[in-house]
Amino acid sequence: MRHTVARLGFWAAVLVAWQLLAMRGAPDYVLAPVDIVKHFVAALGTRELYADAWASLARALPGFAIGTLFGIALGLAAGIRRAFDELLSPLVFLTYPVPKIVMLPLFMLWFGIGDVSKVMIIALACFYPAFINAYYGARATPRILVWSARNMGADDEQIFRRVVLPGALPQIFAGMRVALALSFIVMFATEMINARSGLGHLIREAENSMRFDLMYVSLVTIAILGYAGDRLLRYTRRRTLPWEQSHA
Amino acid sequence: MRGWRALILIALALAAWEITARSGLWSPILFPPLERIGHQLWLFISRPEGFVQTWTTLYRTFGGFAAGAIAGVILGMLMGRSAFVAALLDPLFSGTYAVPKLALFPIFIFLFGLGSLSKVALIFLECLYPMTIITYHGAQSVNRVLLWSAQNMGATRARTLARVVFPATLPYIFAALRVALPVALIVAIITEMISSVDGLGYVVTYALSSLRTDRMLAIVVVISFLGLALDRALVALRNRLVYWEKLDTYYV
Repeated sequence: MRHTVARLGFWAAVLVAWQLLAMRGAPDYVLAPVDIVKHFVAALGTRELYADAWASLARALPGFAIGTLFGIALGLAAGIRRAFDELLSPLVFLTYPVPKIVMLPLFMLWFGIGDVSKVMIIALACFYPAFINAYYGARATPRILVWSARNMGADDEQIFRRVVLPGALPQIFAGMRVALALSFIVMFATEMINARSGLGHLIREAENSMRFDLMYVSLVTIAILGYAGDRLLRYTRRRTLPWEQSHA
Repeated sequence: MRGWRALILIALALAAWEITARSGLWSPILFPPLERIGHQLWLFISRPEGFVQTWTTLYRTFGGFAAGAIAGVILGMLMGRSAFVAALLDPLFSGTYAVPKLALFPIFIFLFGLGSLSKVALIFLECLYPMTIITYHGAQSVNRVLLWSAQNMGATRARTLARVVFPATLPYIFAALRVALPVALIVAIITEMISSVDGLGYVVTYALSSLRTDRMLAIVVVISFLGLALDRALVALRNRLVYWEKLDTYYV
């Protein structure tokens, strides 16, 4: 309770200090919190903001879906089958620290400068955390549980569905959470590098025409979308895994 | 050799690339033959120009990474050992975790200028999150018995922090460093691709604009090698400093 009060007081003080600083004549590009809210509410009444937000989501979400789907499937396969493990894992761990965004120019040549290359690069970036977490989640299955299941007459498919998968789910969700944050970062990066729509494009346009209000509108929108996506994922996790306590 | 199957996969991929390049079905701009990529790679390595660009990127990467790592460890330790600090800062870190900090880059350009400082500031911010969150988690989960023993034997608060909490958190700190270092490199490259006149990210976009895909791919190889080498170096350092804990999983 004392901490909640201190927390609210602290952040209220930060916001008030920012507001006062901006009102006392900060440079043009530092907007006061009240002004940011005002511009954001005004932008909510226009159609352009929704179009840009939709264009951004239409890139980030398919990329996230494709990347995590492949990542989880292959990660689980590598986690339970030695042949897949030896084929895939060295390659994945070797290329994991490589910045995937450098492939964007190449993808633009192969798949065009439209949305396909962006979705592909987002999927590629999301693949890695999904694969690695699913892989370790599946590998961390306690052996005793597999033995007991086998002893009680379960076949391979049943063991996978009833023992390995539920055990790996917390890790899989952890991987999806990293991948979701990553998909937004890569989406924003690709849009800032080259796009004709989307929030990343909006912020660059605003920057080039010195429309600081629009810069903050884009910033607030992407912040809200990122936050909402993260919350949604955590909510799904809580519903799917009622037995797990999240510490994140 | 455990990875021999993976080597086969890589060899197959390279062979498929070469066949695609030589088949004549696609323009060599889309699929430049390996030999031309190798030649460009040699040109890049053998000229001082290449080193200058690589150094520029590394200098930004390390600048932001080091600052973010130090600040993140301090913040994470404070949050982990003080419920009050955690209550103040936790909503900030967990609330803005999924927000792409890259969106702040245009504002940073106005604040810190077009040069290295705006890029280093963004790298700092992107590294600060994983560093703080993972260190916080580690400092929180220090074995209570160890803390009680230290107190019992008359250790002061500062001494307990330095001799018990810090070593116990060190494996987590290294896990965090391993997350943050590739992030630092990625952000350096992205910011250089978006707005810069030097660094590897700029060279990639420049090579693409001049349709020199062979040169572009050579630099992609250089960047990949840098990412890999930095990660290996960090793991080596970790194995020397945190010798009491074996690294058996990729993350914590």
